[in-house]
Amino acid sequence: MKTNEPGNHDEALRKLLQEWRTDATLPPSFQEGVWRRIERAQASASPSVWTIISHWIATVLPRPALAASYVAVLLAVGVSAGWAQARQETARVKGELGERYVRMLDPYQAPRQ
Amino acid sequence: MKKGILILVLGLVAAAAAYGCVYYACMSSTRSLQQSDKPELAWLKEEFNLSDADFKRVSELHAAYLPQCREMCQRIDTQNVQLQKLLAEATNVTPEIDGALAESGRLRTECQRMMLRHFFQVSQTMPPVQGRRYLSWVKEKAFLPNYDMPKD
Repeated sequence: MKTNEPGNHDEALRKLLQEWRTDATLPPSFQEGVWRRIERAQASASPSVWTIISHWIATVLPRPALAASYVAVLLAVGVSAGWAQARQETARVKGELGERYVRMLDPYQAPRQ
Repeated sequence: MKKGILILVLGLVAAAAAYGCVYYACMSSTRSLQQSDKPELAWLKEEFNLSDADFKRVSELHAAYLPQCREMCQRIDTQNVQLQKLLAEATNVTPEIDGALAESGRLRTECQRMMLRHFFQVSQTMPPVQGRRYLSWVKEKAFLPNYDMPKD
């Protein structure tokens, strides 16, 4: 049971490692290769944003309630944006026509031919 | 996946179509104003809720005023040219410059009186409430403290 204790286990391992000798040389760029493999493993472990989006489009969006809500929200956005833009443009055009009316009547502002 | 993409595209198309339809519908009155023969008068009719009869009278007043306005423009331009000539060679305020400045001031007063008379006539042609609103608006536009200053 004593060998299971961390202190004894480390001691045995340390001894073993001190006795261990090898003449084999590491292949070139061994360390970089190891890091590359670690990075690849980490990258494949966490899904990309595109993967999440495509998964969401394929599995979540086709649910009827969500699909209907999605279309309804975009419709509302389109209606609101169209109304707001038209309102702004109407105000601009009317303001401009009012200015033109006054310029037409005022000899100091009237456009000269 | 295909179904999801179809829904995605459908939503975007619906939004674009809704935007276009609402924008087109809301801009129809503005478009008709811009496309009319006299957009400024058409705007006046809409802005001050003029009936066809009121608008006819206003249009007649407007048509009668424009020749006077054009004549005034010519007089102002002639006076400005004369003043510029005098100023180009002057190093002091000569009696001629003094006279030209006085004439420019007199022209401005005459022009403002003519405009004001027209504004009153137009306002009296409109229904009372609209007439008061028109007068208040046009006086502000034509007789602001920075009247005749170039706008940025």
